[in-house]
Amino acid sequence: MTTTEFGIVYAVHIITSHFGSVASKVCECLLRRGPLSSREISRLAESDINHTKVKDILYLLIQHNCVQAFSIEPPDGSESKATVQYIALFSNILHRARYNKFSKVVNEELGSQCSGVLDGLLSNGRLTLEQLIDRDRDSKKQMGSEAIRDSLQKLVAARFVERVPSPEPVLGNKDEGPAQKKRGAKASKIFKEPESLDERILEAATPVDAIRFPFIFEQGSSSTVADDDSNISEGKRKQPEVDYTSGPSNEVIWRPNFEELIRRLRHKACVEMVKERRDEGCANVMKAMLEVGRSQEKKAKTDKSVQMSMGSIYEELIKTDAGREMTQERVEACLEQLSATSSYLPAFVIESDGSYIVDFKSIISVAQKDEMESVVMRRYGKEAFRMFRYLSQEDRFVETDKIADAALTEKKDTPQILLKMWKDGYLHMQKLAVTGVYMPFLLWKVNKLVVSRQMLDEMYHASLNLSLRLTHETDSEKELLLLPMEKLEGALKERRNKYRAKSVLLTSARFKLDDAIMLFHDF
Amino acid sequence: MSTRRRPAAPRSSSSGMTENEKKILGFVRSKQGMGATKYEITGGTSIQQALVTKATTSLKKSKLIKEVSNKGGKHFLAVEFEPCKELQGGDWYVDGALDVSMIEDLKEICVNILERLKQKVVTLEVICSCFQKASRDEYKLSRDQTKVILDNLVLDNVIMEVKSNRSSEHSALRIGEVCYKLIGKKSGGGEARDGAFASIPCGACPHIGLCTPDGAISPTTCVYYQKWLGI
Repeated sequence: MTTTEFGIVYAVHIITSHFGSVASKVCECLLRRGPLSSREISRLAESDINHTKVKDILYLLIQHNCVQAFSIEPPDGSESKATVQYIALFSNILHRARYNKFSKVVNEELGSQCSGVLDGLLSNGRLTLEQLIDRDRDSKKQMGSEAIRDSLQKLVAARFVERVPSPEPVLGNKDEGPAQKKRGAKASKIFKEPESLDERILEAATPVDAIRFPFIFEQGSSSTVADDDSNISEGKRKQPEVDYTSGPSNEVIWRPNFEELIRRLRHKACVEMVKERRDEGCANVMKAMLEVGRSQEKKAKTDKSVQMSMGSIYEELIKTDAGREMTQERVEACLEQLSATSSYLPAFVIESDGSYIVDFKSIISVAQKDEMESVVMRRYGKEAFRMFRYLSQEDRFVETDKIADAALTEKKDTPQILLKMWKDGYLHMQKLAVTGVYMPFLLWKVNKLVVSRQMLDEMYHASLNLSLRLTHETDSEKELLLLPMEKLEGALKERRNKYRAKSVLLTSARFKLDDAIMLFHDF
Repeated sequence: MSTRRRPAAPRSSSSGMTENEKKILGFVRSKQGMGATKYEITGGTSIQQALVTKATTSLKKSKLIKEVSNKGGKHFLAVEFEPCKELQGGDWYVDGALDVSMIEDLKEICVNILERLKQKVVTLEVICSCFQKASRDEYKLSRDQTKVILDNLVLDNVIMEVKSNRSSEHSALRIGEVCYKLIGKKSGGGEARDGAFASIPCGACPHIGLCTPDGAISPTTCVYYQKWLGI
């Protein structure tokens, strides 16, 4: 999905809050105009920023994984050098607003020491082991270098942390275009969706798994492997050339692996959805299935999991306390429930010859539908809600009067309700002119992709609003906040409590809204 | 000079009509089964009432339009259309208006039936038979009418439609037979979650399209935020 207008505004707001207005101008330039060289940014950015400053900001944004550099191979035979260009990583910018969620995922799975190390990488963007140890020495609660190293090892093994990608990958200059359809009966199966430039750049920058998640720590060794590809080969370990206490130029640079962190959040959201719509038992089974299939997921946004047997699901399930309380019959009953389809809920699991597949797309679509329908109900009312649900079910163009009949609404009021939803982008409308008929017929449809995009834009807008309002409330009580809480009495104490309540409400609302944003953008 | 009158030319649906008649016929056709009153025709075509009366009389004579009367007044329909239910005072309309309170009463009855029978699987026939036993005549719904009410409750997200499968719950039914359940955790479908976006002022705001960080409508000046934050 291409970035929406308020997506850009929100991303720029995050960059402004974290790095200042000059950095946000560079970022905005990239977000609005696409890949640019540093000279182009200097020329095009609002209130011309000199080239040196632009480069400094780009390095800062690269450090924090918000920008990726790349170059395109010059044409064959050309003597010109490849120009380095930069793209803004929109998703990574949004991730900055959810670092505490990532921290929580790691804390739950690997413990507080690992989440402490991850916090270091999240706040600094990317660090070497040495830098992590130095950081720990300066902190109040020191973990010690051994603990840091062990934690980093666990994080890499669990793929929460990765080696940084290639700083300037080179893309081929050939216009690959859409993949050619091969002739033959199987053509439709091998047709591949054309990759966007962003996807090509990220794919080119990402090293193979063995390099990306190297097993680098030997037992009893105090060294890390040098950050040199020739030393990293799958299954082999070489005696490192450089001790970890030496300069950073030879060390592996680590950063958070957002793909894995988002995958875990996606899995969590799926388990939560199953718990709400089915029951605890089904949620436990779903959790086990996700665990079984996780290592084989090629990308975070996969539609379906791999096939798994009842046996493998049960084996995983009984590793947990809650799972051990479930008999095989109960698990089979849960799987049957999860595979059942009704007009109300689609199947969350696909059963095929005794194997089971998790249908992520189906689970996520139910959650998205809930969000959409809630907004329609609150914004336009009950009658609009019925019409919207009817059109979503029909998934085709329907004429106004037919909608009124199905939704049992007054025929004369129905057009106004439909028009309101259409004006805000929640319905698609077509006019059908018929010869001899004075006025054209109006036909209506819910286009889920268009509505999703519209909602996502509004959610970015709302998240921005929540942040701005919190800033406004904080600024309004700037002086009061400087006073120590214990010394406040009477009206001042009440005001301070009121501020606190507002702050908690705004922050928690933004936290929950971010879950909804991930539902539409990341999951 | 001959004084014999020429015989009147045969009229077709489009030939031999005045401009006004063509315009009015087109307008009436666009209204299909709802038809149009003289008032609506005057407003919709911007033709004077007197001319509308003349034209409609002529069109009626030519059997291109017909007249339907109900308590809401006279409606003109193109002959190819049947009057819709509200003109006829059909199932859900009374005096040309939708009987919302009756519809709500019928829905409530359905919900009560499903609540009472929640341990069992409830088919359309079961609900129909409950309605047939109703004391009030207007609540004695036909099968089709009952289906319309149930479909509306499905759209309200109050009940769900399920197809019977081989489970023990549906053992008395044919496979694939449609039955109904109240929505809720205990019924196996769970309740739709309240949306995160809908629970904040921006989600419900009709002016979100006009809202900007520094504009007249902004998060810092918003009255809905004021209310939500308890100011």
